[in-house]
Amino acid sequence: MAINKRHSAVRLLWSLFLLAFLMAMPALTGNDSLLAQESSAARAEPGPPNTLGKRSDAEIWHDLRLGAGGIANPPTGSREAGAVINAEGWEWAKLRNPEKSPIVHYGAWGLLAILGLLVLFYLIRGPVGHGEDSGRRILRFRLSQRVVHWSIAFVFILMGLTGLSILFGRPFILPLIGKEAHSILLTAAMQAHNLFGPIFALFLLGLFVHFLRGNFPSLVDIKWLLKGGGFFGGHAPAGRYNLGEKAWFWTAVIAGGALSVTGFLMLFPDYLATRNTIHLSELIHAIAALVMIGFSLGHIYLGTIGTRGTLKGMVDGYVDENWARAHHDRWLEEELEKAESGDQARETAEEGA
Amino acid sequence: MTLLELLEGPLWIASASIFVVFAAFRLIVILFTGRREAEARPVGSPFLGALRTILGHFLPWRRLLGNGKAWFVTIAGYSFHIGLFVLLLFAAPHVEFIREKIVNLPWDPIPRWGFILSAQFAFAGLITLWVRRFVDPVVRLISRPDDHVAAGLTFIVMLTGCMALGEQSAFLRGLHLGLVELWLIYFPFSSLMHTFTWPFSRGFTGAMAGRRGTRA
Repeated sequence: MAINKRHSAVRLLWSLFLLAFLMAMPALTGNDSLLAQESSAARAEPGPPNTLGKRSDAEIWHDLRLGAGGIANPPTGSREAGAVINAEGWEWAKLRNPEKSPIVHYGAWGLLAILGLLVLFYLIRGPVGHGEDSGRRILRFRLSQRVVHWSIAFVFILMGLTGLSILFGRPFILPLIGKEAHSILLTAAMQAHNLFGPIFALFLLGLFVHFLRGNFPSLVDIKWLLKGGGFFGGHAPAGRYNLGEKAWFWTAVIAGGALSVTGFLMLFPDYLATRNTIHLSELIHAIAALVMIGFSLGHIYLGTIGTRGTLKGMVDGYVDENWARAHHDRWLEEELEKAESGDQARETAEEGA
Repeated sequence: MTLLELLEGPLWIASASIFVVFAAFRLIVILFTGRREAEARPVGSPFLGALRTILGHFLPWRRLLGNGKAWFVTIAGYSFHIGLFVLLLFAAPHVEFIREKIVNLPWDPIPRWGFILSAQFAFAGLITLWVRRFVDPVVRLISRPDDHVAAGLTFIVMLTGCMALGEQSAFLRGLHLGLVELWLIYFPFSSLMHTFTWPFSRGFTGAMAGRRGTRA
């Protein structure tokens, strides 16, 4: 009996506790009770259908990855407003990764290969000559042409050194000089590179204007090409500029133009471009720079130790007639004809007077 | 004392003092040494001759214009000198430095884009003019080593200045300041003095020509 009484008392206590708990529930759960009321109301009145959508999570993420808009709110003024994920950035990151980038890898090997080939060519062929000097000089480059040439050369070397430091710095320079010195080098290189970029574009425009005449293709270029440019013996005819020089001119103009345009895009990303355009610009910038630097190595070689008498023409403006006969015979003929007709015109004028 | 503190303290005072003392000394010598009076009867007005030359040389020389001549020299000259002047006196870091070390300038610094643009004008002009010293046979002959040192030092000072634009590195700031101090020490003893002497040299040449009834 005593046991039954005790059980009855326990049962009563539990019942009272349960009653108190259920009474306190609204206060403990707060809004949940409201949600419960709302859900019961929703059950009572039908709302908008299909609020969970008919698409799987995988499909939604797939669309976002392809640039679908969402409710995400990028910074004000962004040209990518609405885009949640920029998947192209991943591809760009793989190409730009300093340690694994094919641009860095093949770019470095490409430049080294060009340097090696030039050294090999010099060792085998030696400098290209033109026999003895005749002692008669002919004007090849005007003062403004020479100033434009050396001005852009100066800026190009500066841009090349700073640009290569930025491109190759992490895999090649950092291990040599350490993180702190490398960070100082990079910040200095980047500031100089950004500041000199527009100056390069200005001088490039000057180069285009001053050297365009004579750089269009002509039939004699084919003969020059078939003769191997005269680098392996024999004479290769050429006009004011030979095919190699024309190729360099147009490479400089096109690659230099690409460098300038993409450089401007990267200088003013908030005003001129989207993130994808910037990524593309960076890749084009790096590739164009490597092409131009590679070509310039050949140009520097041929303009200095590779061909005797060429450097003098770009410094003083004058070349020896025999140099012109060996390398630009068609142009020499034209110039001599012009001079002769000028002399004849002068003589006629003097006789008339 | 760190190297930067040394450059911003004692070395700055020493180089600025050398600059002020010797530049003033050269100007005093030029102005007060005097010269023997010309004995020939004057044909024209020395004053007008001086005025005409001082002002007239701001315009491009007619013989430098047209037909492939050196028209760009005038453009590059203005581009470099105005760009450098703006950089020196109106760029924010320079205004701050001058206010801290020399005098409280009464003007506000130009915005960053103006600073960058003036630096680009200055660089384009300087490079063009310096290159001309090498490739123009006449200018090459009359150029002395001092002219190249002056141009090179000015270029390096400007280059290190633009490299320090990020204002992130004490090393780059120190490098720029150290080269500025070297430039200040070199200044009074070099062709850089033309910054102060140009009105006197132009005026003297013009006055002599005016006295003879010719043009300088």
